[in-house]
Parts: sequence; C-alpha cells; structure tokens
Amino acid sequence: MDVSVTLFGGLRHFLPAGSSFNKCSIKIDDGSRLEALLRLLPIPPEKKFIVIINDQKVSREDYAEITINGDDEVVLLPPIKGG
Amino acid sequence: MAWQKQILRVNLTTGSCDIEPLNMEWAEAYLGSRGLGTKYLYEEMDPAADALSAENKIIFATGPLTGTMASTGGRYTVVTKGALTGAIACSNSGGKFGGELKMAGYDLLIIEGVSEKPVYLHIEDDKVELCDASEIWGQTVWATEDLLAAKYRDPLMRFAGIGQAGETLCRYACVVNDKHRAAGRSGVGAVMGSKNLKTIAVRGTKGVRAKDPKAFYKIVNEVNARMTDREEMSRDGTLAMIDVTNGFGSLPTNNNRSVRFEGANKLNPEAMHTPNENGHTNIVTNGACFGCTIGCGRICKIDPTHFSVKDRPEYHGASGGLEYETAYALGSACGVDDIDAATFAGFICNEYGMDPISLGGTIAAAMELYDIGAIDDSVTGGIKVEFGSAEALCQIAELTGKGEGFGADIAMGSKRLCEKYGHPDLSMTVKGQEFAAYDGRSMQGMGLAYATSNRGACHLRADPYGHDFETTDIAGKAQVVAESQRDVAFLDSSGLCLFPGGCGWGLEDYRTLVDAACESDWNAERMTETGERIWVLEKLYNLKAGLGKKDDSLPKRILEEPADVGTGKGLVCRLDEMLPEYYQLNGWDAEGVPTAETLERLNLN
Repeated sequence: MDVSVTLFGGLRHFLPAGSSFNKCSIKIDDGSRLEALLRLLPIPPEKKFIVIINDQKVSREDYAEITINGDDEVVLLPPIKGG
Repeated sequence: MAWQKQILRVNLTTGSCDIEPLNMEWAEAYLGSRGLGTKYLYEEMDPAADALSAENKIIFATGPLTGTMASTGGRYTVVTKGALTGAIACSNSGGKFGGELKMAGYDLLIIEGVSEKPVYLHIEDDKVELCDASEIWGQTVWATEDLLAAKYRDPLMRFAGIGQAGETLCRYACVVNDKHRAAGRSGVGAVMGSKNLKTIAVRGTKGVRAKDPKAFYKIVNEVNARMTDREEMSRDGTLAMIDVTNGFGSLPTNNNRSVRFEGANKLNPEAMHTPNENGHTNIVTNGACFGCTIGCGRICKIDPTHFSVKDRPEYHGASGGLEYETAYALGSACGVDDIDAATFAGFICNEYGMDPISLGGTIAAAMELYDIGAIDDSVTGGIKVEFGSAEALCQIAELTGKGEGFGADIAMGSKRLCEKYGHPDLSMTVKGQEFAAYDGRSMQGMGLAYATSNRGACHLRADPYGHDFETTDIAGKAQVVAESQRDVAFLDSSGLCLFPGGCGWGLEDYRTLVDAACESDWNAERMTETGERIWVLEKLYNLKAGLGKKDDSLPKRILEEPADVGTGKGLVCRLDEMLPEYYQLNGWDAEGVPTAETLERLNLN
C-alpha cells in the first residue's frame, strides 16, 4: 500500500527522488509498523524529528508497535525553535 | 575588558550630553544589554511613571560581546517602560547599529527628559551633539536614513530611529535600525517619539577589546566550529517554523480561533522560493547582522504587478521580507495567504516604524470585531475588515503607519481596541502585548511563558519549544519555563543573538565566550544566578509599576475554548495548574512576589 509522508523544515531534503516539495508517497507492505516506514526514508540517524500521525503525536517507544494504515497522514517535524 | 566602561547620558530637556564611567559593580552583577539596561532604568526612574511622560527614560544598551568578533555579536537592547504595556520593555535588535554604538565607546546610551523641538542625536566617538530634526520630522524611517546618510556621507554611519508611527505615538511603534532591523516590541518607538527624538546617527572607530584578545580569538574559532546546523536557518530563515507549527497545530489563525491555517503553504519557504505565475520570486537573498555567521534574514521583493505596489516603484526594490513571526501576524493571524500582501505590510512596518506582530495581532482582533458586528464600515472608513482580506491588511497597515482614519484605532493595540468596542476578551494579549506565533493550548509551556513574560506575551523570554513539541502533558513545563527564562535573560545580556542556540550552540558556548571576553570568572553557576537576578529585577520593576498576579494570565479564549485541531485538539491552556508551581520554583510567594529569601540570595534587597 502507499502511505503519504510529509517532511517539514530541513527534513524535506531527505525525501526520495521525485518527491514534491515536502511530500512523498511510500510503498510499504500491509501491516507494516511505523519503524519500518521510517527506515525507508534516507534520514541520517543524527537528525532528530517528531512523528505525528493523523494529528496525534507518537512517542518514540511506540515506533515498533504502531501499525500503519493506507489512509494515515504521517508527518515528520524537525525540533526547531525561535522565530 | 569587553565593556567599554563608559556610558553616554543625553538629557533632552537641558540639551546636555555627558560621558560617564560605567558602574562596574552593576556590570559585574547584570552583565550588559538587557540586564544592565534594566538595572539603570530601575535605579533611575519611578516605574509607576507614565511611559510617555518626561520621567521615563530610554536606554540603548549593548552587551560585552557586542562589537566583538564573536558570531552574532551585533545585538543591542532598548530598555524603557513600554508604551504598549506599562511594563518593563526590553526590545532587542540586530543589524549593525549596536556594534557601531559600542565601537563609538559606549556600553549604554541613556536618554532622559523631553526635547522642546524635534531633534536627532549625532555621535562620532567622543563628539556628541543634538541637532535640529525639523527637516526629517514627518519622514519615514527609510527617508530619514537616506537624508542623513547623504548629509554625513559616511557609509559606515548607522542609524536607529522612528518613523511617523513613533511620532504619532502608535502604542507599538518600534525603533528601526539599518532600515529593516528593529527593536520591535512593547512600543519603545512611541517612547522615543514622546521625547521628540527622531533618530540616532552613530559612527564609532574605537574597536572593542577582549580581556585577552589572543585567547578570545581562539575561543571564538572553537565555538564557531560547533555551529554545525546553520544551513537550514540560512536558506529558509525562521520561516521554516510555519510548516512545523501548522503541522503540529499551534499556528494561531484568525485571531486564535484556530491553530491551523489552510493557507500556510502559500506563506512558507516553498512559496518564498518558488516563482509565481508571473515568474516573480519573493526571496532575493538572505541577510546577516553584524558579525553573524548564520544569516537568517530574508531580503525580498514584492511582485511589481501586485495590487499593493502596482504603479508604486518605490516599493519594487528589495528589503526585509517575511520571517516566521511576520508571516504569522500579517498572514495566518488575519487569515491572509497572499505572500506579497504580507510582505508589503512588513515593508510598511519597517518604513513607518511599527511592530508587525502587534500590528497584525491588532488587525486580527479588528477582523473578529468586524465579523461579529461590533464594528462596521462607519468605524473602518468603509474598509471591509474581513478575515482573509489582503486588501484590508495593506490599507490598514498604511493608515496605521500614518496615524490616519481607522489606523488611529489600530494604533492603540488590540487590548485598547477591543476594550473600546466592548469585547475585551477578543484581545489576544498578555499585559497588553499581542501574542507571538505560537498557541498556548497545543504548546502549554508557551502558554505559561506568555503569561509570565515580564514584557508581555513573547516567544523569546523562555525556551519551551523542545518540551512543547515533545508533549502536551504539563508535567515539567513550569521547570522548563522558569529555568529557560533565566538562561535567556543571561544570553540577551551578553550582546549575542539567541539563534546560534538553534544552530548547534549550547549554553556553555555562550558562557565560554563571555568568560573569555570579560574580566573576572564567569562560571556556569554565576551565569544562572545572573540570569535569575535579571529576571527577578524585571519582575520587581513590574510590581512597582503596579502589575501583579492578575497580569500573569491569558485571554479567556486560550483558557476556556479548546484548540480545534492538531495535537492539542480539545485542550485549553492549564495555566492555573502550572502557575503556582512556577512561582514556587522561582522562590516567589503565591501572589508572584519574590520572597525575602529569594531577594537576599540574589543580592536584590
């Protein structure tokens, strides 16, 4: 199935080739966990980010437990500050 | 060293300009800039005096690292009693003015009294004179700088002054330096206008000396090497935040009716970098302040075919563009998704000398008043002040800058505006100052930071960002806010910018630079204590000015109306649960008054 993933701020530079400005569609197997989805994104391990699925923030310890559905909106935010 | 160890005192009533030694005991206790300026103001004026009276003073304060080679060492703070808030105002700016003032030989410039006629201050090192400003009074910030630059013909002369908004005492008039950097918040420009002081022209040639220049040079390079994460800030500026808060659900929209703006993608970095249907690209380049190695500034152009500037070639050039706060205030807060209109309103703020956050926040309040029928066309002069109207935004911005028509109402700020028209709850303010670009329901720590900010609602008095983006649970928020308020007070007093903290630096990097530049030992414990002393002194100033616990609050909307979408959907700000813990952590009593023990510990008694 295809899942919509949006990468905000500087994270967008780690989108797969051919993506739009900050959004891509990632093909994963049915029943895949969030952890597996994140591994498909070429984000360097030192980059920190927050994951939001359908407007709900996900804790890191739940990455291996959460099952992704085809209609989920997955958003990754960098922890920036100021402005 | 690092301090110049002297101040310049200008009395506008008598016309005297005197150079005095800096009180080094105070410098050792309050460091510089925000802290030291507050100490002088606290000691020299009655906080209960009217902000626009002759009793108020306005202090331009540099920090010990201002004018040094430390990265971002160009900051200065304007300290005074705020015309918008009646509270302590400490409004920080970058650009090149602060470094020039420091190199002219002054840690602080203290302005007191009122001039009988409009004047400007001309400083060239030890040569200081008050000059007749009759030819520049009534001119914009930009025209004033051009006229004086042509007169003095020194390309390194720097200017900080007011436009017509300051002259007409717009409550949130700001002091603009270098044409598009500003000490923006709390109405410091109105105080300057009330004193009939148009601008300050400064040129300095003395340099700034660290206590051990070779050691300082080594430390500067070591610390710069740790600024490893600045590429993003350089390319997108603070505007990158708009996607983050919109995705998170904390971008104030339509006067905080919502926390998400569907037009955010028309104001974001992509919109700024992508050519529009006419082939016009908003951003031209980035810009940097004195000594900065980040360059977060946006230098932008408005599409010359846009309605706001069509047949107005004076606005077709490049100038300071949208940053995150202006994109919020002149964009989402008003429901406007037109990047050229928001850029134009931002240009007007710089040209006439207004704080764009307060202007946008006040227009947003007016839009809600118009929406519910509390005001109509007879009040607005026929302007359809509707959420989303780019035309209304641009028209009102210009009217406010000039103090004309409905702009005179908008110049009061949203608190006075909403009170005037019978709906005080619609003013999204703390201590009379408009919210910055974060909603205190989905970002609970920011809600507490707004409520307790000594200068009124502000996103730069504390650093709850990381904790807030991690969780909406209020556990630990009070501690994060209380501790970071002290840290930020110290950093603001150093003469450096806060943004290296988002580009790889930690507190220790700032402390190391201060310690390398200044006499005596600036260890971590002293850094924390100094920051707390500054924070508590600001609090004491406010208490003497008549502010109290009732002013450490938030608008009813944030306390009672749940956020509509996002990670904080269904939440209100739980301020009443966080505030007692916050007071306790600070060593303040239940009314928010520092206890005798706290004052004793900080040598404030």
